[in-house]
Amino acid sequence: MNNILKNLRKDFLIEFRNRSALNISFAFAGITTLSVSLAAGGIPFSPLVQAIIFWIILFFSAMSGLAHIFIREEEEQNALFLSLYYSPEEIYISKLIFNMVLFLCIATLITPLYLFFLQILPVYKILFLLTVISGSIAIASVTTILGAMVSKTGSGSSLFTVISFPVLLPVLWTAISLTTISIEGGGVPEYKNILFLLAFSGVIVSASYLSFKFIWTEI
Amino acid sequence: MHDKTISIESRDISKKFGNTRLFSNVNFLLNKGDSFFITGPNGSGKSTLMQILAGIQKSSSGNIIYTSGGTVIDSSLYKEIYGFTGPQVNSYDMLTASENLKFTVSQKVDEKKINEYLEKFGLYRHRTKPVKYYSSGMKQRLRLIHALINDRKILMLDEPCTNLDSKGRDILYETINEIKNNKIIIIATNESDDIKLCARGINLEQHS
Repeated sequence: MNNILKNLRKDFLIEFRNRSALNISFAFAGITTLSVSLAAGGIPFSPLVQAIIFWIILFFSAMSGLAHIFIREEEEQNALFLSLYYSPEEIYISKLIFNMVLFLCIATLITPLYLFFLQILPVYKILFLLTVISGSIAIASVTTILGAMVSKTGSGSSLFTVISFPVLLPVLWTAISLTTISIEGGGVPEYKNILFLLAFSGVIVSASYLSFKFIWTEI
Repeated sequence: MHDKTISIESRDISKKFGNTRLFSNVNFLLNKGDSFFITGPNGSGKSTLMQILAGIQKSSSGNIIYTSGGTVIDSSLYKEIYGFTGPQVNSYDMLTASENLKFTVSQKVDEKKINEYLEKFGLYRHRTKPVKYYSSGMKQRLRLIHALINDRKILMLDEPCTNLDSKGRDILYETINEIKNNKIIIIATNESDDIKLCARGINLEQHS
């Protein structure tokens, strides 16, 4: 536990000094949100289109920021240094927590911006909020392990986006559907689909925890 | 485990990359107080063998066996037994020397001990400077502190004098001479002065 906290502290300290992942994600989110609202020119989109655009912005914000945590270890040649002092399990858990916190921060910034610029007021506010949180957790869970795999290939973030999309498709599909319902209202809010997003994260995290050692080390 | 005598044994270790054999049949047994050098021409596999000994890389055949009081130690515990450094071991450029050391020290090591080591290796006045501003020699000194500070029973140093000036070398040699009777020391090097620190060793050219 102490080692997980130490590694987490180190990652936040480096991110705070570097701010590359945060800045890239925030800049991307801000620019795309503004561009979409300007392109709309005051004409309201349907709830489905609003939901799709919202999750596309979140998805590409994740692509530009979340792989960074592992790719940086390889690019700056710190991976061996880290492996000498921390077990693969400690590394995985700390990176997962870091990505979850980072992506929830990104979502916290994007969501009010998007709602404001596109003049959206969700009917089911709690469902909307739970969808954003559980969807963000699912995206962070998937991107953490895929980021680790991509970092070992040396291919950088282009490969990351390509392999992330099919794995995240069920998450995006469900999150878009829930967001559409929460924006337009009507019918019964389907909270059980929130459970699907959380269960998806649970399965991915469990599988990642068990397999991370073989991804991270050569042994 | 910490109070028992540690030994490390290399049994018929071989390494191949594809069809190219790097070295084969490397055998030795080291006990407390042994100092051992690994030498050989560039590309002979000194660093690879060091990483195999540390459990960081896999050998193509053969076994590395760590024992404590005659009991075989699980490979997941190796990190608690050795201090390791080499040219590929890079601390975080965005952190200061103090922050990097706090990141790697065991719970037994306090800030006073960190400062003592920084003072000993001439980095104390640079302790709050991010490592990215260090010269290559200063980075090497920091690498050595990382390997030494946790006071592990086995010390593995890969090219320990790389980029060190004469003062840095003197500090390193003095430190190794102080501790070598209580530890197993393994040095991968081509420097004759480093080799003189060790009682015995192998030349990988003879194992290619």
